[in-house]
Amino acid sequence: MPSNVDTARSVTFTAETASDRAAALIDGIPVSLTEYRCPICGGTFTGYADLKSHYATAHEGAAAPVVAVLTLNGRNCEVLIEPHWTLKRTLQFRLGLTGAKHMCDKGVCGSCTVIMDGRAVLSCQMLAVECEGRDIETIEGIAANPKWRPLIDAYCRWDAMQCGYCTTGFLVSAKALLDKNPNPTEQECREALAGNICICGTYPRHAQAILEAAARLV
Amino acid sequence: MADIAGVNGQREHFRVVGQRNLPGKLSYAIAAGIAKFGNDYALPDMLHAKFLRSPYANARVVSVDTTRARALPGVADIVTWLDEDIARISSHGESFGPGARPWLDNIADQEGAEVAVIVVAEDEDICDEALRLLDVEWEVLPHVVDLFRGRSPDAYVIRPQVRDTPTFGAPGMGGPPNPPKRGNVAYSNVISGDAEAGFREAAHIIEYDLYTPAFAAHLPNPSGSVAWWFDDPYCSEGGQSLRIEGAVRERMAIAMMYGLPPEKTVQEGLFMGGKYCDWGLRKSQEITPLLAKRAGRPVRCVNTREDMFDFIMKQRYVHMKVGFDDAGMITAVEDDSIADGGVWGSSSFGNVGDLTQGPYNTLKCKNVTQRMEIVDSNRGKMYVSGQHCPFNWDSITMAIHLIAEKLGRDPIDIARLNLHGPTSQDDINPVPSFEACVEAGKKLMDWNWHPAGTKKLPDGRMHGVSFRYQMCPRHSFSSYNCKLELRNGVVHMPTQGPLFGVFAVECNAMVVAEELGLNYDDIQIDFDYRETFTPVGGGSDGTTASAWAMKECANILKRQILEAAIEYANDPPMPGFGHGFGPPPPPPGPFAGLTPDDLDIVEGRVVLKSDHSQGAPFRHATPKNIFATYSGRPPLALWVTGQMGKQLDTMNTAYCEVAVDTETGEVEILRFGVVADPGKVMRPISLESQIDQVMYFSQGCQLLEDFVYDEKTGVKLNNNMIDYKKPGMLDVPRVDREFLETRAGNAAYGSNGISHSLANTHLAIIAIYNAIGVWVDPPATPDKVLKALGVI
Repeated sequence: MPSNVDTARSVTFTAETASDRAAALIDGIPVSLTEYRCPICGGTFTGYADLKSHYATAHEGAAAPVVAVLTLNGRNCEVLIEPHWTLKRTLQFRLGLTGAKHMCDKGVCGSCTVIMDGRAVLSCQMLAVECEGRDIETIEGIAANPKWRPLIDAYCRWDAMQCGYCTTGFLVSAKALLDKNPNPTEQECREALAGNICICGTYPRHAQAILEAAARLV
Repeated sequence: MADIAGVNGQREHFRVVGQRNLPGKLSYAIAAGIAKFGNDYALPDMLHAKFLRSPYANARVVSVDTTRARALPGVADIVTWLDEDIARISSHGESFGPGARPWLDNIADQEGAEVAVIVVAEDEDICDEALRLLDVEWEVLPHVVDLFRGRSPDAYVIRPQVRDTPTFGAPGMGGPPNPPKRGNVAYSNVISGDAEAGFREAAHIIEYDLYTPAFAAHLPNPSGSVAWWFDDPYCSEGGQSLRIEGAVRERMAIAMMYGLPPEKTVQEGLFMGGKYCDWGLRKSQEITPLLAKRAGRPVRCVNTREDMFDFIMKQRYVHMKVGFDDAGMITAVEDDSIADGGVWGSSSFGNVGDLTQGPYNTLKCKNVTQRMEIVDSNRGKMYVSGQHCPFNWDSITMAIHLIAEKLGRDPIDIARLNLHGPTSQDDINPVPSFEACVEAGKKLMDWNWHPAGTKKLPDGRMHGVSFRYQMCPRHSFSSYNCKLELRNGVVHMPTQGPLFGVFAVECNAMVVAEELGLNYDDIQIDFDYRETFTPVGGGSDGTTASAWAMKECANILKRQILEAAIEYANDPPMPGFGHGFGPPPPPPGPFAGLTPDDLDIVEGRVVLKSDHSQGAPFRHATPKNIFATYSGRPPLALWVTGQMGKQLDTMNTAYCEVAVDTETGEVEILRFGVVADPGKVMRPISLESQIDQVMYFSQGCQLLEDFVYDEKTGVKLNNNMIDYKKPGMLDVPRVDREFLETRAGNAAYGSNGISHSLANTHLAIIAIYNAIGVWVDPPATPDKVLKALGVI
């Protein structure tokens, strides 16, 4: 069985264990690259120069991946990125972070929301190579930060989730709201989350959760 | 109150059941972003797969030359419908579609259909490029996306190879055999009583049309799977085991598809996303094991969100004729429908199935003729869906409002007059749950019905209201195999994953805690795919019916714990002996010489009934590991007895209040109201959420949503989340809810399933009629409202 696949048997998800696992995902991202994998043929190389050389000979005319340094949840990490890859795709397939979800891929639904330089943005609409030098915060980073435990708690207490697929997008938008406005009104909560779509109909519970969290965060 | 079979059915006091703000057992994983859904899995050395998808609404692949695609660097495999590996597999997922069909063939019967070829490559971009490099010879065929054109005698027959009539439900019951299929049209007729005689009795006859547009999938997340094969140390005989994630709860279907024993089919993921009655497996969820076996590497195949617009709730045209007397009592109903049969393999659950599950069974009137034409189309596929019943329901909701309008009466009074009693269609007594719901509903809504087009709001907009009833049915599709274990003083509840968007496991845990005198957090949920218990017989079924079975199991465990506590007290281990290498055994409780009837369990302790201060915690009361099992389901489920609608114990009512701007055509739903009696509320917040979901869904399909096809090409024009509008946070109206607990259901503590019975297609449409006095077909967009008003 591949080594990076966890097994779920008899797992109890508490606030603490979930936070710890989110932190472990962040900690597990290597700071620097030690292997350079050709995305076309799967060949692996120990240096970037070798990969570029391989491209020149084996995949002439194809745009080679670039090495970028992303600042993710407060840490810098080297990532091998194909120039046309979105941040969403990079988070999942290069960094192992799946809190930002694959959904509409058109910037409509908000499921892939992350915070970049303090603003909620749609990672399916951001080219990863353009994110270098920007502060990127994902749901894993929010969950791993004890400061935001009241927001996570409130989302769980109020069932601001049903199937759970879109939930993280809402939560990241909520955190971005609270960063700017620690005491929002219900209407401000609704407006801040207007870009997130939930087909399970959880809408009213998000404002309830955010308002409860805001009271506890102060 | 119903006499509920089983232990503690009449429990009066609740400590845990009914509590608010108890987090779901997986909620923290979801909120923290560590929950892995099928399409989240990314493995080292993983390949990606994509299907060739049809650009045509109806076409046949004559031939494919894969030479150029195979030569593309990064392509690992290409499989066609002619490959022996493909020919050997067949689907075992939930499907009631007619006719055997190869798992993959060269027929493309809707735009976007998976057809003929699968490519496997190092990444999705290479898959896309390889698909572009296929040299495909298409034979483009005429299509049917307009049901009226499809049913005309000279229409092109799109499925000459499938001539059977959809059979789910009970067509032909009480009447002559259904006519044979003609052209694209199959027939299903259900006749009861004598409608002609009923019309002769009628003082008034009304006729009207009711249209339900096609609307799209309820699946929030794109379907897909990741599979790989591995050497399994726990099951080493007979080759490798399969691990598949993303095939939702269909591990057994996958095992059957690939001829594997269940123990060699591993599915550990706990999250499958929403599966609101869309139980079909997409091909992307089934094919990865084969591709992974061929490649010797993990393979991922995931639909795009656009691909998910292959699912439709079926379009339907209904012409209704209803006779009634001067008091408003219905004497006869004729329902002539033209329904979308969808593509080959669609479930008939959502059209023919309605004929025996519809609203007419709730009426005193037994003279009902239902004639349905089911038209084969190239519009989309209907997977097995329990959404059928609520949608058909509004044919009678409209009748009630039209009768009220004609007689100048309140529609609630017309509904009350026509609703039969609790036990049968011959029962003339009131239904207590209905009476309680409408009494509360009138207060909730400040109900003051007015004739159509007669009330103007201070801001100049026209005001409209509507009302609707439905039943909270006695669920239970299947038996539930429950197991509980007391291990080291802790109660464990093993259950399968993955879970979807209901909190059924949580309700089960609440019931166990209630019965064992524990708290919700005391129940340890052990998720294990190998377990047999799974509370997923549908949302309400899994919540209420499974909880009934689990309640029985909890009481069996309770009895065993009490017996074990007495046994331990009667025969304690000798000091210093009998405990092997472990710690010394705990001292027993003060239970020597007692019987189980002398004891109880309170707050995690076995205690004397006569003195709760005398007792011992579980861990001290018995050192044993104790298993309790129970298999069964609550009695008298309406799906089993065939009495759906003919017995009425718990009901629900919904209300809608709209404002219509006659200058702009804009409709605002001022509020929905819901008064529902689910018998007993198990977990209030998830019930509220379930109701919000169906009301927003109902809003969407009445004001916003409609699948649009290009008639000329048959191509879908709005199959993405930009052009297909679902309600968002700022779109949804207020939903005022009130719950009643008559305890009249058959499941745990007298609960019943509310399911999606409040989902509707015409509650807002009727309110719009009440506002402006003209009918607007859904979705009631501003242009259609203005057109109906004659403004444009």
